[in-house]
Amino acid sequence: MSGTREQVFPTRMTLGVMKTKLKGANQGYSLLKRKSEALTKRFRDITKRIDDAKQKMGRVMQTAAFSLAEVSYATGENIGYQVQESVLNARFKVRARQENVSGVYLPQFESFVDPEINDFKLTGLGRGGQQVQRAKEIYSKAVETLVELASLQTAFIILDEVIKVTNRRVNAIEHVIIPRTENTIAYINSELDELDREEFYRLKKVQEKKQKETARLDEEMKIKRLAEEEKAKNENLNEEGNEQEVKNESSPERETSALVEEHEEDVIF
Amino acid sequence: MEGLFFNIDNGFIEGVVRGYRNGLLTSNQYINLTQCDTLEDLKLQLSSTDYGNFLSSVSTEALTTSIIQETASEKLYEEFNFIRNQSSGNTKLFLDYITYGYMIDNVALMITGTIHERDKAEILQRCHPLGWFDTLPTLTVATDLESLYETVLVDTPLAPYFRDCFDKADELDDLNIEIIRNKLYKAYLQDFHQFVTDVIDEPAKEIMQGLLGFEGDRRSINIALNSLQSNDIDANLKRELLPDLGKLYPVATEQLSHATDFEGVRMALANVPEYRGMLESGNLEDHFYKLEMELCKDAFTQQFAISTVWAWMKSKEQEVRNITWIAECIAQNQRERINNYISVY
Repeated sequence: MSGTREQVFPTRMTLGVMKTKLKGANQGYSLLKRKSEALTKRFRDITKRIDDAKQKMGRVMQTAAFSLAEVSYATGENIGYQVQESVLNARFKVRARQENVSGVYLPQFESFVDPEINDFKLTGLGRGGQQVQRAKEIYSKAVETLVELASLQTAFIILDEVIKVTNRRVNAIEHVIIPRTENTIAYINSELDELDREEFYRLKKVQEKKQKETARLDEEMKIKRLAEEEKAKNENLNEEGNEQEVKNESSPERETSALVEEHEEDVIF
Repeated sequence: MEGLFFNIDNGFIEGVVRGYRNGLLTSNQYINLTQCDTLEDLKLQLSSTDYGNFLSSVSTEALTTSIIQETASEKLYEEFNFIRNQSSGNTKLFLDYITYGYMIDNVALMITGTIHERDKAEILQRCHPLGWFDTLPTLTVATDLESLYETVLVDTPLAPYFRDCFDKADELDDLNIEIIRNKLYKAYLQDFHQFVTDVIDEPAKEIMQGLLGFEGDRRSINIALNSLQSNDIDANLKRELLPDLGKLYPVATEQLSHATDFEGVRMALANVPEYRGMLESGNLEDHFYKLEMELCKDAFTQQFAISTVWAWMKSKEQEVRNITWIAECIAQNQRERINNYISVY
């Protein structure tokens, strides 16, 4: 991992961009992590409820099947057919709505009974009508449980998918994007340092050159002066007034040397 | 003197029926059945009874409660048809009367199927074999009651029963069918009762009157209870559905038709000792079955009576229900309710 980095020019501007990116990635990571945790919590909750609902369904279905046996005991064989034929409208209906969990839309099924519709209330009028009504109630409960379970199962599947995607993102940010950005930043920093060092060296070199030059000039000047002094001595013997001028000429030379001194200190800093 | 000539026509039949009656499962056999763990065990237990190896052609995997019920019912139909073929004269008429009840069910079933445009073959399959008559398949042509009557039913024994149904039900729908069925049944019970009173000799007359009266009472109470939730049936219509028979008639019948809640039905029943307390506890249908079986058992105590055929029929039907119930309990693993069957022999 440590080897990967983005292909960028190591400039100060890119460094700024990368730093913003790292910050963004960290923020995104913490957000996604929190989302994933919220979803996982919900997911566990749903798993538990599915377990409950399934066990409940087992019991309810058993009672329901048994109540049907009671109906056939009380009424005879053809009751199922009569019921089937006399039903025209659905009494038990399902409504769907959406619930938002951390940005994920989960469908929720709600069942309701339309009390207006009661199609086979006369079935078994002469015999076993009570059993038929009872079986109807029990089966309504069974279907209710089924609807509940269906809603939970759908939520389960959708949440599972979303959690997978979110976790993949979290992992991608944590293990790919963040290290890569960090690597890039480190790379840019090292490159910039390298540049600095080169610059420093270059300046040193320049200063060295300048010092050499100054030394050389000093030497020349000295020689010149010596020569001139020699000359002046010779001339002094001739003329006293020339001495003043030589002193005036040497003062600008001293100023340049001070300027180099200042510059050098700056570079070291 | 009344039993003097009985055996000329009916001696053989009565003998056969009493033989069948001895083949009914006893309470000990029921206890054995309830001990079974699987349907295979049940089949094995049943093979040592009068049923013999009636399930031998069914493999273990295909063994279901509905198959057991079907096969057991078939045995009953066979036996009944055998008796029917051995009978003559008034006895034959009596046996025919027994089948009219099933005919009414079949007609109602056919009409229901026709309204919803079901496949004829599918409905015919579901018809009760004892209620079969030749023109049954042609019932599908009818769309309203008039044409139904004029084209098909006029030739059947059910024709007179339709007289009361013509007042308003022109179009057939589900509500009408249920009402027609109950009106027919009422007319049938009353006609049967009349027939028994006029034609059948004592002591069968008395026994049959009792049994039919019970049948009427059962229908009355059931209709009164089951129509409580429905607003489509007013007191007058309800009165038309309740048979004018039995221990409830006439006072309690009148009260039942005007009862608008559960309390009203209970008040009406409180006047009749036989049915008092029936609504207080337990399952109404169980009470009725129990009562019916007691009556049927008593019916066998009389010699020289063709009412034994009816009593045997009903007992056998109850037996098939019992076996189905036990099988259902075993199949669904509902052991605690398995003793809910009704056994009197």
